[in-house]
Amino acid sequence: MKSGICKRLFLLTAASAGLFVLRAQNADEENPEKNCALFDSMRDKAAKGGPNGSVFKKTSLSKLTEEVTSRIGQQAMPMFVPGGTRTNTELQLDKLGTIDRYIFQAIQEAGVVPADRTTDSEYIRRVTLDLTGRIPDPARVVAFLADTRENKRQLLADELLAKPEWVDKWTMYFGDLFKNVSRNTQIPRYPEGTQAFYNWIRTSLTANKPYNQIASELISAGGKNSYTQGELNFVVGGVITGGPVQDVWDGQTVLAVSTFLGLSHMNCLLCHNGRGHLDALSLWGKTTTRSQAWGMASFFSHTDTNRTPVDAAAGGTPYYWAIEDNTKYTQDYQLNTTTGNRPARTGNTRVTPVYLFSGRGPKPGENYRAAFARELTGDFQFARAAVNYMWEQFFVKGMVSPSDGFDPLRLDPDNPPSDGWTLQPTNARLLNALAQDFIDSKYDLKALMKEIVTSEAYMLSSRYNGTWNAQWENLFARKFVRRLWAEEIHDAVAQSSGVLPNYDLTRLGFSNLTVQFAMKLPEPVRTPDGGAVMNFLDSFLRGNRDDEDRRDDGSISQALDLMNDNFVMTRIRGTGNTSLLLVKNINLPNDQLATNLYLAVLSRYPSDSEKAAAVAQLQNAARVSAAEDLLWSLYNKVDFTFNY
Amino acid sequence: MIFGEDKHKKFLDRRPHAHRSFSQGFHFNRRQFFELMGTGISASYLVGKVEAEETGTVRAVTQNKAKNVIFILMTGAPSHTDTFDLKMVNGITPTKFAPAVLNGMNWPTGLLPKIGGQLKNVCVVRSLRAWALVHSLSQTWTQIGRNPAAALGDVSPNIGSVIAFEKQKERTVNQVFPSFLALNANACAGPGYFDATYAPFKVTPAAAGLTNTTNIDGQARLDSRLKFLHSIDDPLRINSPLGKDPQDYDAFYSAARGMMYNSAVAGAFSYSSADSVRYGGSGFGNACLVAKQVLAANQGTRYIQINYGNWDMHQDIYGTQNPAGNNLFTLAPAFDNGVGALLSDLDSNGMLKDTMVIMAGEFGRTVGPLSGAVGRDHYPQQFVAFAGAGIKGGRSLGSTNSDGSDVADYGWKYQRYIRPEDVEATIYSAMGIDWTKQLDTPFGRTFEYVPSASAGAYAPIDELWG
Repeated sequence: MKSGICKRLFLLTAASAGLFVLRAQNADEENPEKNCALFDSMRDKAAKGGPNGSVFKKTSLSKLTEEVTSRIGQQAMPMFVPGGTRTNTELQLDKLGTIDRYIFQAIQEAGVVPADRTTDSEYIRRVTLDLTGRIPDPARVVAFLADTRENKRQLLADELLAKPEWVDKWTMYFGDLFKNVSRNTQIPRYPEGTQAFYNWIRTSLTANKPYNQIASELISAGGKNSYTQGELNFVVGGVITGGPVQDVWDGQTVLAVSTFLGLSHMNCLLCHNGRGHLDALSLWGKTTTRSQAWGMASFFSHTDTNRTPVDAAAGGTPYYWAIEDNTKYTQDYQLNTTTGNRPARTGNTRVTPVYLFSGRGPKPGENYRAAFARELTGDFQFARAAVNYMWEQFFVKGMVSPSDGFDPLRLDPDNPPSDGWTLQPTNARLLNALAQDFIDSKYDLKALMKEIVTSEAYMLSSRYNGTWNAQWENLFARKFVRRLWAEEIHDAVAQSSGVLPNYDLTRLGFSNLTVQFAMKLPEPVRTPDGGAVMNFLDSFLRGNRDDEDRRDDGSISQALDLMNDNFVMTRIRGTGNTSLLLVKNINLPNDQLATNLYLAVLSRYPSDSEKAAAVAQLQNAARVSAAEDLLWSLYNKVDFTFNY
Repeated sequence: MIFGEDKHKKFLDRRPHAHRSFSQGFHFNRRQFFELMGTGISASYLVGKVEAEETGTVRAVTQNKAKNVIFILMTGAPSHTDTFDLKMVNGITPTKFAPAVLNGMNWPTGLLPKIGGQLKNVCVVRSLRAWALVHSLSQTWTQIGRNPAAALGDVSPNIGSVIAFEKQKERTVNQVFPSFLALNANACAGPGYFDATYAPFKVTPAAAGLTNTTNIDGQARLDSRLKFLHSIDDPLRINSPLGKDPQDYDAFYSAARGMMYNSAVAGAFSYSSADSVRYGGSGFGNACLVAKQVLAANQGTRYIQINYGNWDMHQDIYGTQNPAGNNLFTLAPAFDNGVGALLSDLDSNGMLKDTMVIMAGEFGRTVGPLSGAVGRDHYPQQFVAFAGAGIKGGRSLGSTNSDGSDVADYGWKYQRYIRPEDVEATIYSAMGIDWTKQLDTPFGRTFEYVPSASAGAYAPIDELWG
């Protein structure tokens, strides 16, 4: 099999009219990959370890995509011709946008044939789910397919970015990123604080507030009441109990630096120097010291994060948080601790705030955290981390993965690391260029998303003609499938069935909050409905914004739920509630009924064979039951559960 | 290595990760992955890959006496001096505790009579000391055997996930139950960076059995639907131009179907009202009952976690102000009935000899006189009780001083506090798992089953067996 891959690569390369020279001219039958420079570099990267060196996710991602697309099946599709021909000249590449220029250049240099361009019906479902978390309305699918305008995909992207559902989805996403949850392993925010933060994120996204402004406001927020000032709740999330106040400042530093710079190793460095600990993980980390990390934490050292009982007479809880500067703490970070969550800080000296990537501190009279926000959002890494987060959402895998595992010394393609280290991003030039685009757009999230979803790279099919090699994942030569979020599955069932639930969250302590879509939930609350739907959503691993990340694994519970759960079963009925999809369509001729069900649930027309199978199924004495069975099958199909 | 508590502290100080997070290291080894994939066992459970990969070689000699584990997490942190390490405080402890010496242990027969009757099989470890006094943090700590707040602590798997991973290779084709079952434990710690295959399968027991293992339209219609589903998917799958066998992809559905209309599932997860009453007729009792039935079914479940609270009694711990409120006398009976029946049943059906039952909270509570709110607050001294798997019951290991505030006798060869990490090592050893084993992770760091155990930081409590 390995031999086949290399031979195929060789043949493909040879077939491309000598435009590319395979670095290995003599295939070694014993070890056919030995001489292949492409594979060698990838193997080196894997062997080197480090956050991006893992083979685990790569393997499963390819496998998953293969499995899903093989289930969906191969369809005849127009040949994809980026920039004119399969083998772009430099000139043709220059005409492409940032993403396509670098992606297709990398694909070509590797001698790999990219996947075909995805179809219109696949594109509208893909982009609608990615941007809004919803499946497209059937009428919109039909109109889009009939639309003959050349720029209809661009127009669709604009339309989706303007929808309120875009705000819903990205409020959920940033709620995850900012860890907005009413209780974590350390402290409670209470539903009131969570809701205030949720509203703040919603408002910010609705206004398309620049991302650097979002970050600045969250890092430097000050005020008396986290129930009324949503933005206070970010820094509150850094509170660490059971130690001195330095532990809290460290926690807040880690939170800000991990979230906005993608540098989770800051957590290690606040306990000990990198040398001896991070040597194998991060070139930057191994040369960075605890003292330098303290310089970062010192920006938080004038900050007092305290709490006030809502009703002192009723005891200590619940309480709201205040974040105040230069009140309780007016001197810099002191090294005088022997207990707590981190090793002793000794010497009794004070550490002045220094942003370790610029060497600068606060200006005279400047609020420390405002200075930190200024330095952090002015750091190129801030933009790079942001575009990598977005890339991960739309391309399923970050160019640096995990997305909070950046190594700042392995990011510059013009100054590559030595000593066997490799560049960390799968496409370092693209990552930098995309970050620059983001900066040039004034940190406009919608503009970034549009740039992504209108790129030809994003429009590649998830199906692959020929033998796919998992080693090509870093090239993004095909689109990878992703399992829908728990909320997306829930909302797709609700929306397509025509019957929306009503979740009154007031009973959970939220104020006047009733939602019909799971994507509008303020947090992955355990019990939106008091029980059953909680289990349905939890099956799809929505995470808890604390010690459980959102994840896209499959499970037995998911299959049990989609096959049998009341939430689905009540929505496949052909009798009863006149809002139900099947009830509304049951009197249509068989082929129209089948078509409408496919459009509503899978956002596409059935293929001829699928339509024939559906019609045969419907030609049954018990037609309503047969139609229910058809609809049940659509909800259990692979192409319902996945974005592909 | 016997170095005592002071030296242990210094030892850990020199190793900031020793009790805080993963050790570090790197390399890739896909051997175990392919070994497992190559066996072809129980393909349904191989869906989603075996993501953890082994690097270490087996070094530790394990007890290897347990086939299964039932871990009962007493959430909220029970007062040790009112339960498993009873200290009668004059004029404070209620007389209806009716203390008596059972198997050499001072025991509140008025509070926990049925467990008292099973003490011959129970060993109470009284030298356990918690690291932290924050509920959710310490609860997670107890379940993952390390500090969740440390670097990468948030991706550490539950002990049960490690056991599910280790025991994967012992599964047979006909076993349809998940390896790791969580009963009444929806908030239990998850699989961390391990694949979801090893995640806790969360169930709230009900007399009717597992949710969604039947279909409202009946078995025949479900099967005809599945047949139709395959008819519209399979031809496309077989025509795949990719040449890849997508069988794995269906495996979750196959496994799910395997759990549906399955007499083993129905028999293990449903229960009669008579049995429920015998276990105390409570949600906790039902979980103990289902745990026993699931293990008896021998369908692949090896680790069961049951949560039971709320032991966080800052106020009115004895119910003197509000007898009907949350206090020891309202909370303990369900616990006592459930555990009493469980231990009794496992003993009489012979399963106790290879099933380890563990009971512990996340920390203990203040000792001596009550607080101003007539309750007890958070305190690091605590207990852990073991039964089964060949341990020598009817005794305690270690002891506390007169008021229970600190350890008087550590009770084991290491002459230091026993820590949650040591309990974790004990569970692995009991299950025949090398507790010093190290796995590569996708993060480039090595995941050591018990943090820094290979360097001697923690060890199993072998004294339980001897």
